[in-house]
Amino acid sequence: MRIEKRHVEGRPLTVIVEYPEWNNSVASLIGRIEKMDLSFVGKSEDRSVSIGISDIYYIENVERKLFLYTKDEVFRLDGTMPDIESKIPDTGLVRISRTCIMNTDKLREIKQIRNSHLEAVLDNDEKLIVSRKYLPDIKKVFKKEEV
Amino acid sequence: MRRIFRDTCILFALAVLSVFVMSIIWVGITDEIKLVLQLFVLSFVIAFGNYFLDEYVTLPMIGSYVVKYITATAAVMLFGFIAGWFYRSNFWMAFIYVGIVLVIAYFIDAFRIKRDIDYINSGIKNKQK
Repeated sequence: MRIEKRHVEGRPLTVIVEYPEWNNSVASLIGRIEKMDLSFVGKSEDRSVSIGISDIYYIENVERKLFLYTKDEVFRLDGTMPDIESKIPDTGLVRISRTCIMNTDKLREIKQIRNSHLEAVLDNDEKLIVSRKYLPDIKKVFKKEEV
Repeated sequence: MRRIFRDTCILFALAVLSVFVMSIIWVGITDEIKLVLQLFVLSFVIAFGNYFLDEYVTLPMIGSYVVKYITATAAVMLFGFIAGWFYRSNFWMAFIYVGIVLVIAYFIDAFRIKRDIDYINSGIKNKQK
């Protein structure tokens, strides 16, 4: 596979996939690229903003309301955790507890803290509690990336 | 090796299941088959309870195993009295049976968690390179 990169001023990020014949690898590659373009509509006061998956740090369910956290902003999200979960397979987003979905691309470290609780430390120094039950799911994301 | 062991367990379960089905059809439910079916139902009840504990109760690992120990022992004792497994004098055996299983499960779990954390952290480092 040949990879060509070009810097083009003033145009949105564009990916062109050329293939000699359509097969599963091509379909999977395009699927992954499409997932990268996934975005959510977040609400903050009176404005709605489209937030790309690469800007999301984590999504949290607080008293049945969903909140999306970017590096330094919080947005309200419509929908439920299952709605969000149905959109995120094959992305870096993964459920880490009953109430939280984390972006593994923003993960700096996972550590076992006192009382054997697990803690995820993000790029922006935020700390999230990880349920032991969901640890294998986080591992799966990294396993997939390895492949 | 792990895959061979997993396949062995699956094959073993299927073999036991097919032998049991044949025995039930030809001989009916014998005491041994009844005991295995009771153990299956008990395992389901305990697994169901553990699922809810894992999902809704956030406790330290040791705390969560203590709660599981208490609930599983209670389930085994209750089930044992209903099924007639214990005499009133030796019901305490349930504590030992459940204890042995949970101690093994605890160490396997602790090892698995440590291994998963190491794997994830090394994955993060590789990504950053």
